[in-house]
Amino acid sequence: MKLWVKISLITVVTILTCTGISGAVSIYHWALYNRAKTVESYERQVRAAAYAVGKELDYEPTAHFHETTVRSYYHYVIQKFGLSQYILIEADEVVCNKTPYTLENPADSRWGQEEGYCVVQKNNDKYILLIGQKVPANGNKDYKLVLVQDISFVYEDIRRQATFDLMVYLATALVAVLLVFAATHTALRPLLALQRAAQAISDGHLSSRAAVRRKDEIGAMAVAFNSMADRIERQVNELSEESGRRLQMLGSLTHEMKTPMTSIMGYADSLLHVKLSGEQKESALRHIYGECGRLGRLSSKLMSLIGMYDNDSIDMQEVSVQEMFKNVVSLEQSCLEQKGIGLEYRCEMDRRSLDRDLFESLLINLVDNAAKASHAGQTIWLTAQENRITVRDEGCGIAREEIGKVTEAFYMVDKARSRQAGGCGLGLALCSRIASLHGATLQIESVEGKGTEVSVVFSH
Amino acid sequence: MKILVIEDDTVISELICMNLEAAGYETDAVFDGTAAEKMLLGSTCSDIALALVDVMLPGKDGFALMENLQAAQIPVIYLTARDDVISKVHGLKSGAEDYIVKPFEVLELLVRIDKVLQRTGRGREKLKIRDVMIDLKEHRVTKGGIPVKLKPMEYELLVMLAGSKNVAFSREELLNRLWGVDYVGETRTVDVHIGQLRKKLDFYDVIRTISKTGYRLED
Repeated sequence: MKLWVKISLITVVTILTCTGISGAVSIYHWALYNRAKTVESYERQVRAAAYAVGKELDYEPTAHFHETTVRSYYHYVIQKFGLSQYILIEADEVVCNKTPYTLENPADSRWGQEEGYCVVQKNNDKYILLIGQKVPANGNKDYKLVLVQDISFVYEDIRRQATFDLMVYLATALVAVLLVFAATHTALRPLLALQRAAQAISDGHLSSRAAVRRKDEIGAMAVAFNSMADRIERQVNELSEESGRRLQMLGSLTHEMKTPMTSIMGYADSLLHVKLSGEQKESALRHIYGECGRLGRLSSKLMSLIGMYDNDSIDMQEVSVQEMFKNVVSLEQSCLEQKGIGLEYRCEMDRRSLDRDLFESLLINLVDNAAKASHAGQTIWLTAQENRITVRDEGCGIAREEIGKVTEAFYMVDKARSRQAGGCGLGLALCSRIASLHGATLQIESVEGKGTEVSVVFSH
Repeated sequence: MKILVIEDDTVISELICMNLEAAGYETDAVFDGTAAEKMLLGSTCSDIALALVDVMLPGKDGFALMENLQAAQIPVIYLTARDDVISKVHGLKSGAEDYIVKPFEVLELLVRIDKVLQRTGRGREKLKIRDVMIDLKEHRVTKGGIPVKLKPMEYELLVMLAGSKNVAFSREELLNRLWGVDYVGETRTVDVHIGQLRKKLDFYDVIRTISKTGYRLED
């Protein structure tokens, strides 16, 4: 059963039950009151009649009259007061009955009470009100007066009223049911939109959203749902971009593996099949050895790159940048001195949350790159200020069109020279990756012939 | 017979040159696209019979160099690590004679070079090994000026070995290339023919048996 139907049914049943019970109770109460009123008015009438009849019977001495005369007299008295619905009882015997009914038990003591005694009898679909009272007369005779009144009209009224009320109740109930169903359906319709959007997303249409503009809970749910969908879409896009990048990297890798493999296979093949001079044989072996070394370096750099791709958890600690600079300089100093290249540093940065090992390897990589581009007599500057750490050299610089590509894995501006220098085109890709792990970006500015400036710019 | 090698990786360039020289070719190595273009536009390339070109070159890539190479009427063999079909089709459609994917085998490279040279009419007309002269045009073999009678398959075998001298052929390779893949014979057939050649040309120390490999003709 649908939710809106359920809610509507619960609401309707609850409302109708409550209003039905209260309506029935009030009608019942009204009926009782109505009947009591009617009975009360007849009681008053009986009392008045009994009093009047009593007075009459008081004045007229009947003792010495003949029985028939006495009867006639009673008839006369009853007639006189127009009491056509009365039965007069004298000493447990009906002496005058103007009604179409017969009293079954005139001797019943109930009729002889001082206060009027009433009872309602049902007789052939008619409601008969019986009120009996002792007639207050002086004398030795005991009179009772009984009113026999058909009060079916009261019940008829009640029945008619109840029927009318029931009609009104059913009509309003019908309207209420329709209203409740319509209102609930309208209120819950956005859930359908939400469901459709969820279905679309699970079918792979990641860009679909729930179009619900409401300020209620469903609206809030739609907003939450949409932001969830946003996030999922973004993450899926990131993932597919990431896998695309990896695929590209794998492609570059296989290509990059092919060059040393071609050399190794070719030289080995030559050694096996071609008549070579002793000098040529030695050169072939040297080349095989050298190319194997290149493969080794390639694989170890790749391992670190893949390792970092797989494990984003890096060990961030508050590190003194000054100390890190000192460390980098002491590591690089001797190597640079041999080449006649100077290394100066200036640190205006205090402490920063960094992964020390990774960041040091980034700086060493950048300084190595700078050293490769520099000539003897030139200086490399290592500076830290505000939110950027910069490595600047006065070397050969990078051509404008190459700058965008240098951080791609396996990209080498000058392949022949880079390989001689022991590079395999992964250095800046690694640096860029390390920088992004620190929430920083790598900015490269270079003027050909003037030098290069590589900055790690922190976003915060 | 000079072959132009345009390859940016010095190690591979040296490898190719070494083998081509061993097989009796002269070589000229160029290491980037720009230098190759400069050279082709100059007048120093008239004696080049064929170019081996890497596709991914610094400066100007191998596909872009095709125009210059065609202008200089030099047949081209691409030698590249790019083994995707699109690159192959592109290379061959642009006018290359052949497309060899790295890593390659030395023998395959030499055989393909030989085939391209023959197809483009630049094949060697005569092969000389010591005092033996092979006239490829007339299908005649002379030793010290005296004609030597060789059976057809013996001649083909001699041409194959002499065409890639100093490079070893396995028996299976010779069998496949000369007798065809479908030939149901044993490698003994090759041995018999080699024996005949050695006897007829006194090539006992020229056609060397390379252990575990096959035969190599050395001069």
